Amino acid sequence: MGRIVLENVQKTFGEAEVIPPLDLTIEDGEFAVFVGPSGCGKSTLLRLIAGLEEVTSGAIKIDGADVTQVPPSKRGLAMVFQSYALYPHMTVRKNIGFPLRMAKMEQAEIDAKVEQAASVLNLKDYLDRKPGQLSGGQRQRVAIGRAIVREPEAFLFDEPLSNLDAALRVGMRMEISELHNKLNTTMIYVTHDQVEAMTMANKIVVLQAGVIEQVGSPLELYRTPRNRFVAGFIGSPKMNFIDGDAAEKLGGHSVGIRPEHIDVVEGGLWQGRVGVAEHLGSDTFFHVHDTGLAETITVRAIGDVSLRHGDTIGLSPRMDELHRFDAKGLRI
Amino acid sequence: MAIVAQQTKLSKILWPVLAWAVALIIFFPIAYMVMTSFKTDADAVKPELLFTFTPTLENYANMTENYDYWRFASNSIITSVAATLFTLFVAIPCAYAMAFTPSRGTKDILMWMLSTKMLPAAAVLYPMIYMTKAAGLYDTHFLIIMVLSLINLPIVIWMLFTYFKDIPKDIIEAAKMDGVNTWGEVREVLIPLAWGGIASTALLCFIFCWNEAYWTVRLTTTEAATLSKLIEGNRAPEGLFFGRLSAVSTAAVGPIVVLGWFCQKQLVQGLTFGAVK
Amino acid sequence: MANRTVPRLLQTPAVVLLLFWMLVPLSMTLFFSFIRYVLNNLRRPEWTSPSIENWRGFGNYQYVWNQDSFWLAIQNSLIIVCGILFLTVAFGIAIAILINRNFPGRGIVRVMLISPFFVMPAVNAVLWINMLLDPVLGLQGIAVAGINDIISGLREAPLVGGFFSLWPEFSPISFRGAQASSYAVIMMVTWQWTPFAVLIFMTSLQSEDQQQKEAAVLDGASAWNQFRFLTLPHLGRPIAIVVMIQAIFHLSLYAEIEIVSRGSGNKNLPYYIGELVNNNIGAASATGIFAVILANIVAIFLLRMIGKTLME
Ligand SMILES: Nc1ncnc2c1ncn2[C@@H]1O[C@H](COP(=O)(O)OP(=O)(O)O)[C@@H](O)[C@H]1O
Ligand SMILES: [Mg+2]
Repeated sequence: MGRIVLENVQKTFGEAEVIPPLDLTIEDGEFAVFVGPSGCGKSTLLRLIAGLEEVTSGAIKIDGADVTQVPPSKRGLAMVFQSYALYPHMTVRKNIGFPLRMAKMEQAEIDAKVEQAASVLNLKDYLDRKPGQLSGGQRQRVAIGRAIVREPEAFLFDEPLSNLDAALRVGMRMEISELHNKLNTTMIYVTHDQVEAMTMANKIVVLQAGVIEQVGSPLELYRTPRNRFVAGFIGSPKMNFIDGDAAEKLGGHSVGIRPEHIDVVEGGLWQGRVGVAEHLGSDTFFHVHDTGLAETITVRAIGDVSLRHGDTIGLSPRMDELHRFDAKGLRI
Repeated sequence: MAIVAQQTKLSKILWPVLAWAVALIIFFPIAYMVMTSFKTDADAVKPELLFTFTPTLENYANMTENYDYWRFASNSIITSVAATLFTLFVAIPCAYAMAFTPSRGTKDILMWMLSTKMLPAAAVLYPMIYMTKAAGLYDTHFLIIMVLSLINLPIVIWMLFTYFKDIPKDIIEAAKMDGVNTWGEVREVLIPLAWGGIASTALLCFIFCWNEAYWTVRLTTTEAATLSKLIEGNRAPEGLFFGRLSAVSTAAVGPIVVLGWFCQKQLVQGLTFGAVK
Repeated sequence: MANRTVPRLLQTPAVVLLLFWMLVPLSMTLFFSFIRYVLNNLRRPEWTSPSIENWRGFGNYQYVWNQDSFWLAIQNSLIIVCGILFLTVAFGIAIAILINRNFPGRGIVRVMLISPFFVMPAVNAVLWINMLLDPVLGLQGIAVAGINDIISGLREAPLVGGFFSLWPEFSPISFRGAQASSYAVIMMVTWQWTPFAVLIFMTSLQSEDQQQKEAAVLDGASAWNQFRFLTLPHLGRPIAIVVMIQAIFHLSLYAEIEIVSRGSGNKNLPYYIGELVNNNIGAASATGIFAVILANIVAIFLLRMIGKTLME
């Protein structure tokens, strides 16, 4: 079990209010991702749940029990840090077994659990090494191993992949997702990378300046962003925004259209000149200028479309995929 | 590498030769002292025997008789060891608290501590003599231990603080999540991680205590007099006694110089208060 | 967690000790500096014990201020400190650059270079003033005598003899008295502290950006220009720190002065105070307060600089 409820949780550091009062529920077994630009308070929120920071006001409940005043180790949560935070003077075996030793578990039982975690994480051959002798990905697995053995109510991850290179990151992303499928334990995962959020989450919590902008499944956020911020933050390449008269004509104070929802046609609503063309093979991204709009428009075409820099291009947005926002940036 | 390519053949040979020459010149006075300590007093002042002489251990054998060396040496050892231990005993908890639970005032306290180090000793010389004589502490081990501790405390706190501060906070937090209590945190995580730093701080503190030459000279007469006092007392131009003077000097500095070789790196951090990395 | 009591408690012993160390003796000095207080005075026995009755106001300060020997002591303090600073920084940079390259035996060279720093100041002074600088028995005496021997030998020689007979006989310098004693102190302390400067500059050189240097080589900068425009600015901060830390240490030099000249040579401020303490406590205390002020001027700069890097 691991249902985590935040009620009116607020956090200030001195004068600065980093988290204005907010409510949030994470259901048992969910993979929740906190995503937002860096400095928006994701880590702080996670650390409040972990108990590493004290809430200024409000309550945190795990499975109905109020844990607001409970110390971190007694909350039944395990955390994986961005820096891995392995104990450099202990072997992998000792590192993974450390929380169990602190819980005064029998040595034989600890050994068994460490072995088991090591085989799940492919660490068997490295058990007697020290963290300094491991690669980044292996260290990451040790950190996860240290979390797994505790059999926590929920796992907390704070940007666990940001110190890995791109290829490894994709691999670890899969591994963590698989781990979630296997264990079915609640996981809360913090990242500033919306791709990680989209690929891993059941539930995404978009944060900006400590405020929850929207909570929902990846596709909900993609299809019906509640406001301009979420619309712009989710999806890659970023959504195009059109303001002013051109937007009024399309029925909003501002209008957003995702690059993949614009077709390259003869004629079309907008004509422009291709600036940069990024040929990826599977897709082509065009950055189109001189369309008569104030903004450069990004278009995603399927396959390798052979238009080059300086060519004229006609664009036709799919009208049913337009996102219209009012003057306050809220979805109409 | 471009820089290597720039080196000419000549500079490749000249450079090490020059470096070695400079090192030998700088080391020469110490070598000369050690050499002289193996000469008889008579040989020591003969120019023709500068480098060629028959070594003798006579000076070392007579050190106790000539200078009462061991009495001073044991005072030095007692006061330096005790002062180092006491300093660490006071400094470790303080540096720990400052590094791991810093408050707004921490920086100011640290700066203030350092500023006490900059107080010229001479300015408070008479009050110290006056007070310690009044309290019956003048020329006692206890007094020297306390004074040595006090003058080294700021530097030791600073060094420990910079070591503790370098321990990632994440690791301490991970340990908290893993369920350690405060004592466990100190024993399982902090001490193993900071051990190297604590050891070299202790070494450096010991060296400073051993070499101290103001208070140990001015606040002692016989009972607690250290090696600094011994050497200072034999400062007269004892041309006739170069051999034995060298022997006692060598015995006074030898162990410390060797210890010093082991903590060169920490010296930089310790004496610049972490401002040069 | 937010509990501030435990951290406070842990810091208390250190803070209390240092507070005591700083406040009690210094306030006594301050008090003594405002009263007439001498250790021996047959005519005015009431002055021989510290008492508020003997209040003298700024009289001691005025007295000290008007003493030539006080100003001489300040002058000597500054000459000694500045001399040492200049030499250690210059030698320090040169040697640090010299051994910043890889060459055979670099480890041993480093060990030899650092050694003087760990020699106790009393031994340093005894070693230098007796065995190295003594005009008769020290190496200086031996060397000068040797040179004179050679010259007098050359006077007898044919052809060049006439030239060498014009040369005077060299006489060794006595470093125990007068101005020369300052030079002896500067020499021995420079020898001791150059390793410190070397160590710090070397540490700093190792963090110098090698790619930047390579770029400069490609840009056609000569070795001198690399030093002038890259290395020297990089060393700016370490130099400032070396200067200030040494200033603090050397303003309170004592053992070396004592051993070199026993008061017959140049005195610096601490030594001057040490002499006054033998009788005129009031004046010694006033001088002490002046010394505190002098040290504070240096300390403020140092603390500012260190403070900036403190919480990084
Ligand atoms: N201990 C602290 N004291 C003061 N401000 C803090 C502290 N921790 C975080 N903050 C501030 O809170 C804001 C949110 O930080 P954080 O939660 O780390 O952001 P992120 O979303 O990048 O993880 C930042 O502006 C940061 O400066
Ligand atoms: Mg963060």
